[in-house]
Amino acid sequence: MATLPSRSPHSVSRRAFLTGTAAGATAAMLGRPPAAVGQQVRELQIWHTEVEPQTVKVIQDTSIAEFEKKFPGFKVKQQALGWGDLNTKLLAALAAGSPPDLTHLNPFMTASLYTKGLLRPMDELIRALGESDIHEATLKLQYFDGKYYGVTHAMGATYFAERRDLREKNGIKPPETYTDMLKLAEAMTERGRFAVQMPGEKLYMGFVHPAEWLAGNGGAWVDAKTWRPQLNSKSMIESLEYAQKLNKFMPAGWSGQKYLDTLAALANGKISMAYLSGARTIGYIEKYAPEGTRDPEHFAPMLRPHGPSGQRGISALDGENWAAFTQSKYPSEAFEFLRVFYKKENYLAYCHSVPIHLTPIFKSMINDPAYLANERIKKWKPWHDVMVTGLRDKRFLPIGFSRPEDNVLPFLAELDGSGIVADMVVEVMVGGKNPKAEADRAQRRAEELLAQLNFKRWS
Amino acid sequence: MRKNALAGWLLLAPSLLLIGGLILYPILYNLWLSFFDKHAFMPVQAFVGLRHYRYFATDPEFWSSFYYGVVYAAVTMAFQLVLGVAAALLLNEAFRGRNLLRGVVLFPYLIPTIVAVILWKWLLNDSYGLVNHLLLVAGVVHAPVAWLGKDYIMSSLIIISVWQFFPFVVVTYLARLQTIPPELYEAARVDGATAWRRFLHITLPATRTVLFVIILLRSIWMFTKFDTVWLMAGDGAVSRYIRTLPVYAYARSFTYLQAGMGAALAVLMFGMLLAGTAVYFRLFRDEEALS
Repeated sequence: MATLPSRSPHSVSRRAFLTGTAAGATAAMLGRPPAAVGQQVRELQIWHTEVEPQTVKVIQDTSIAEFEKKFPGFKVKQQALGWGDLNTKLLAALAAGSPPDLTHLNPFMTASLYTKGLLRPMDELIRALGESDIHEATLKLQYFDGKYYGVTHAMGATYFAERRDLREKNGIKPPETYTDMLKLAEAMTERGRFAVQMPGEKLYMGFVHPAEWLAGNGGAWVDAKTWRPQLNSKSMIESLEYAQKLNKFMPAGWSGQKYLDTLAALANGKISMAYLSGARTIGYIEKYAPEGTRDPEHFAPMLRPHGPSGQRGISALDGENWAAFTQSKYPSEAFEFLRVFYKKENYLAYCHSVPIHLTPIFKSMINDPAYLANERIKKWKPWHDVMVTGLRDKRFLPIGFSRPEDNVLPFLAELDGSGIVADMVVEVMVGGKNPKAEADRAQRRAEELLAQLNFKRWS
Repeated sequence: MRKNALAGWLLLAPSLLLIGGLILYPILYNLWLSFFDKHAFMPVQAFVGLRHYRYFATDPEFWSSFYYGVVYAAVTMAFQLVLGVAAALLLNEAFRGRNLLRGVVLFPYLIPTIVAVILWKWLLNDSYGLVNHLLLVAGVVHAPVAWLGKDYIMSSLIIISVWQFFPFVVVTYLARLQTIPPELYEAARVDGATAWRRFLHITLPATRTVLFVIILLRSIWMFTKFDTVWLMAGDGAVSRYIRTLPVYAYARSFTYLQAGMGAALAVLMFGMLLAGTAVYFRLFRDEEALS
């Protein structure tokens, strides 16, 4: 028969342990400063897509610090998430009825949430920030039925990043048209170096770039009135033919590589042009490009060419908007936070955390000496200038938009998610299939999808 | 007697609750959901009966996913079986370092899928991958092979999956091998049987039941495999060329945001597996050996 081990002389009885713990807890409670007893700290949840550590730190040290000082009962919790993660997490949180108080949204998702009555208007805030000072490229992206439902946090643009020195050595000007671009690609193909590389993520090659092609070639995702998809339109087929030709000048495995791989390939000389680039590329160039080439004389941004049916090349404007939900717990405080966020000194610090990539939305600030005083902006001025030129010449449209009016389409997120366009592009570019046949197939699938989603307005 | 019965039910209750809550309820809920046009996240739904099933009957994406799924499951299954059985036979022999090798063989099965896939994607990358570097240095190829591109993505996926899952076959088969009486082999040797004959007439019959189970389980697991396939190219352009049914079901639910259609796909997969298992049992089940 087993015997119980005898109790050690130093052991504590259960009763003594429980009594001690309870006494300790009570003492700890009573020991707190009187003001804190009974006071509930409320948490303002903020989600955003600027994942760079220095940006997260700047938000924490400036806007959040100031807000918490102004509203002592509040603690701000920021979460930086990548696009894909944010969208899924946000939809799940909305379904559960507990969205964050404030979040970044992709403009192509905003209309979908607005039509479901999930967004809170913010006209008062927009007026307080200065309606007339907010750049036209972003001001009315979330403007529905006479009210504002969002405000862009900052503007970045996508374009080609090129080896300017190599192009100029060949005596070629930046391309204006698809034909120019193909000639440039041919000239830039050398032994051991490909001319161009597109990112392999579906989001880019299957949504962002096709939207740019449509916009830069006189096309659109859908008919403005009936919402019937236009994937087999002349402008899309011409763009697919262009993409198929461009594919010859890309590395064979581009479709299996990612956006950041293309930036690394540009910096280390494996390609002459990265198809998708923004000011974030500067970081890669400064880190990985050979010494003596880390400057705008060697690496420059280049705007998109236009197609035979278009007037001017269009690039995607990378600029999520802040939004507050009808289900947000502390909407007033969320708007108060935004006032603090856009306060000049806080906002400047934010924009300087990734210069040029985070270009201010205020017209008065874009060429403000205080903004331009940043060392990186000074060094990479041509990149800033391309941003200014693109904005001036209306060369930018929000990500996934084929025309400004796409902000009212409530199904762009589903169209992107379905991969219908991505399948079409990859079959044409990598699979070498006939553009017209693939476009027809994508058209059928897109029509089916919109019908399933109850957005069919055509007969 | 009644008291005993009550006690019996009470003892069974936790298991019944778990089975009901974690298996039966999700299956029935999924079946119910498949009859609705339901948004993945928003409370929007409408009864559509069998519409989703009728749609998939003529949906080219469904059939291409089915095709890729069958190719993936069949080829990986065949390679796992051949490699796994060969490795188990080797590890059943006595030689120096056998125990260490038995541990090493298990390694791919133990590391998390995410780590395995990222590691392989690095190795196979056509810009900076080690595999291409070695092939170029050895002069086997003159330009990097796009292992993660359209033409090779399925082969790469199969290689990774076989590498990751063949240890399961090794361990299971080896366990059975170790229970075969050595006297049988000794007697066969005395009778002059070659190694191949000994395998054919002693090892194979003795391990038939375990092979039956291995093939059944691995086929089901490979047909429903999601993580490895998704991590290989889930958000990439080439995902089209390895889109199996579980990935398509996920996409319908969480990227098309059509939860009802995703549920219908899950029901179809469940039905296919049930039918396949029934046929498999009917064709290959050895009642005598199993009993």
